Amino acid sequence: MKLTRRNFLKLVGALGASTFISTYKFELQEVFAQAGDYWHICWLEGADCAGCTISFAQAVEPDFISVLTEITVGTSGLPIALPDYHETIHPASGSLLEEMKKETWMKAGKKVLVIEGAVQNEGFCTVGGVDFREHVKEAAEVADAIVAVGQCATFGGIPSGSPNPSGAMGVSKFLKQVGINKPVINLPCCPAHPDHILLTLAAVMLGAMPELDKYGRPKVFFGKNMHDELCPYRPYYDRGIFKTTPGGEGCRFKMGCKGPVTWTDCALRKWNNHVSFCNETNVCLGCAEPGWPDKFSPFYKEVTGLPGIFGVSAEKLGEGLVGASIGISAIHLAKRLATKGRKKEEKEG
Amino acid sequence: MATVVVDPVTRIEGHLGINMETKDITTKTGTWTIVDKAYCLTNMFRGFEIILKGRDPRDAYFITPRICGVCHAVHAEAAMQALDHAYGVNPPPAAVLIRNIMFGAFYCYDHMIHTYLLVGPELGILAKYPPMVPPVLGKEGIAKLNLGSSYATCVEMQRIANEVVALWGGKAPFPVCEYPGGVTVKPTLDRIAGTIARMSKVWHFAANTMYKDILALREASKHVGEVVSSLLDINFRGFEDLGPAYPYKLSYGLFPDHENYDDWVALQNGERGRRKSAVIHAGAWDGDFKDFELSKIKEYVKYSKSADYSGGLHPSEGQTNPNPNKEGAYAWAKAPRYDDKPYEVGPFARMVNTFGLDWTFEATNPVTGESVKFEWKVMNPEGSVIDRVASRVAQTILFSTKVMEWTVELIQYLNDKIVHDKTNNFTYVPDNAEGYGLVEAPRGALLHYTNIKNRKIAKYQCIVPSTWNLGPRDDMDQPGPVEKALENTWLPKLTVPEVANALYEGWGDTLAGALVKLNPLYAKLNMEGEYNTTLPLAIVRSFDPCIACGVHIITK
Repeated sequence: MKLTRRNFLKLVGALGASTFISTYKFELQEVFAQAGDYWHICWLEGADCAGCTISFAQAVEPDFISVLTEITVGTSGLPIALPDYHETIHPASGSLLEEMKKETWMKAGKKVLVIEGAVQNEGFCTVGGVDFREHVKEAAEVADAIVAVGQCATFGGIPSGSPNPSGAMGVSKFLKQVGINKPVINLPCCPAHPDHILLTLAAVMLGAMPELDKYGRPKVFFGKNMHDELCPYRPYYDRGIFKTTPGGEGCRFKMGCKGPVTWTDCALRKWNNHVSFCNETNVCLGCAEPGWPDKFSPFYKEVTGLPGIFGVSAEKLGEGLVGASIGISAIHLAKRLATKGRKKEEKEG
Repeated sequence: MATVVVDPVTRIEGHLGINMETKDITTKTGTWTIVDKAYCLTNMFRGFEIILKGRDPRDAYFITPRICGVCHAVHAEAAMQALDHAYGVNPPPAAVLIRNIMFGAFYCYDHMIHTYLLVGPELGILAKYPPMVPPVLGKEGIAKLNLGSSYATCVEMQRIANEVVALWGGKAPFPVCEYPGGVTVKPTLDRIAGTIARMSKVWHFAANTMYKDILALREASKHVGEVVSSLLDINFRGFEDLGPAYPYKLSYGLFPDHENYDDWVALQNGERGRRKSAVIHAGAWDGDFKDFELSKIKEYVKYSKSADYSGGLHPSEGQTNPNPNKEGAYAWAKAPRYDDKPYEVGPFARMVNTFGLDWTFEATNPVTGESVKFEWKVMNPEGSVIDRVASRVAQTILFSTKVMEWTVELIQYLNDKIVHDKTNNFTYVPDNAEGYGLVEAPRGALLHYTNIKNRKIAKYQCIVPSTWNLGPRDDMDQPGPVEKALENTWLPKLTVPEVANALYEGWGDTLAGALVKLNPLYAKLNMEGEYNTTLPLAIVRSFDPCIACGVHIITK
């Protein structure tokens, strides 16, 4: 199939990130070559841990170096995606870095703003003597596209965990508060998946805006329930075989797996050149969802035993009252709860 | 006297500024500006220890790694060892091996990425050594000029090392496979085969490319020393005179012996010792090997943005409240001291506490049978930029070898238990307990302290490497190790290309051409006003700062 702006995301969905990029590498380069200008990137870091940057550096096909050296603008030999600002990897430091943001990025033709880390109350994070909140406002005002990477920038993440000592919040919430009305593409997970970052940047550069769910996440990556539609351990669940000891085998549900209330393609895409994902070695923590970590912890607690996940009691979750968003998952939980009850009765009887 | 500020310092983790007061010295050849006093500004605060309070003790294993996404696995490891200690459960041999394998692979990734992506570029420029300059001319530059060849290979190798972390831990950053008293991942033959195949590649890169690169830097260092000495009319030997700190170096030890875990736990119990059964020993080097003792650690807050207390406090008594407006305070970080002295932590401290001043060892790749003899005589016992980089190279070679050895060893334990009997379920949590995790992060000694009351976290404290290295002055007004290391550093009133041209004719012009093509503003690389800050930046980066770690503070 020939690559067009229209079918870009469809193909991405069908092929997965790395297969897509390797299959359509030449077409992508052609499209970028026609763009005639760089897409300048400003990658801001607030209340972050640089984990998403490190995750981005784990990208394969194309890898990090290829992105920065091979996919070039026309015949210029210069990379299409040029970071003018990035604290963790940039050659420049100090005042020059700030100047490059102002003089190069802000004046560029096409500007992507990537934000890693949460936005906090005033005074908790300063960069170059200026509060991080001001950095975000200034850059968001002029950006052509805003991508929030990782759980912190999307929904506040760990820094926003109770009692939220620094008033941490996600970028879209912050922008609304300060009256900047621009769409933010949210790429949660802790850290963000390198495929998700690369493909979203590619989509933005192609002008193919991904379709987003109600939390601002591209549906192509976050449209499926992990437990119901993707998890390889699902057959165990259906047969009632559960992992209950660290060395055991079975569905991770009873250990506290958050797959049933998590929408992400981790199980399908896997991590680090597709070698594994959390459930293969322990449990899903639910890091793709808003309300993480508080609504998902204690992490070793069954979903049905959590005090009010998404503000709904376990019983109601079981009864399927959470509505369409919980979907099929709720039905299965209901089934399980029903079975649980029956077993108890049998025992008592 | 002038004040030169670099903020933000890039190619480190987190938000760091450095503030340098200068002075002038006059020699036969002219008047030169050097750093008189330096101050580290740690610029971001999130409050992890507050967030942890009241949670399930085991949640610390999932939450604390998010303190830092660069040294992710290590906070997990420290949190887990604090839990092991609090639970009173030693992991069985198979679990120790699995932890060591995952953690060892993680170390290789971390040391490689630091050597090439973070500290390497300036050294490549100063040494006119193209493999360590970033690949600014792309694949063509790599092929024709060798420009960025090691840098680009490193990106591939760190990724392969992280694949090993993911094989055992699920994903990297932030693997998830440990449990109090063991692990939740089973040793399987595919994991074993996948680990050995990948680590063999990493070993090859470390033993050949990295070793060759550090020797090239050492060679170039002499030339840099000669040119700078004659230009400034001073006695400057080279990279070994960049960034000496104090003679005090602290290590908690690394990679416990799977058959002798009691030796490892002794230090957590407060006994004096050096964990000599581990691959890297603990110790408080002061020119000679000295035992480590937990009770000698104290934290001071005179210049920290936290409410005052008098004297220093042991981590279990840590009494800090954030106070951003405190008079005279200039950093979020506290000032930890060992025996009231500012100790440097990190790879250099690990090497001297284990090998002394002569790091000679032979490493054999168990897969291919190839051997390499690593030899390095410490060039400056107080630490220096080149000794710190060399220590990371040494450890990448050593640890990649060890990971393969442990993986082969693990085959003997395929059907053994992977968790302590007491914790072989997901329900047991002690009612009341406390525990210490004492491990080495790539950037230095890391302590986690957990205090469990009624099966919940009542108190959590971390003392992290970058607080040791980049913390502010203490109550005795002793500068922290990085502040000390920056003193007397030359701030040339010359641009980077001008310095490069002075060192090697024409080299600066070549560099300027490549950089300016990317962005004309690069002509001002590392310039703060008229001062070139390349040398202070190289010094700061040689400590591999992690500011997100350094500033996590605080329990009430």
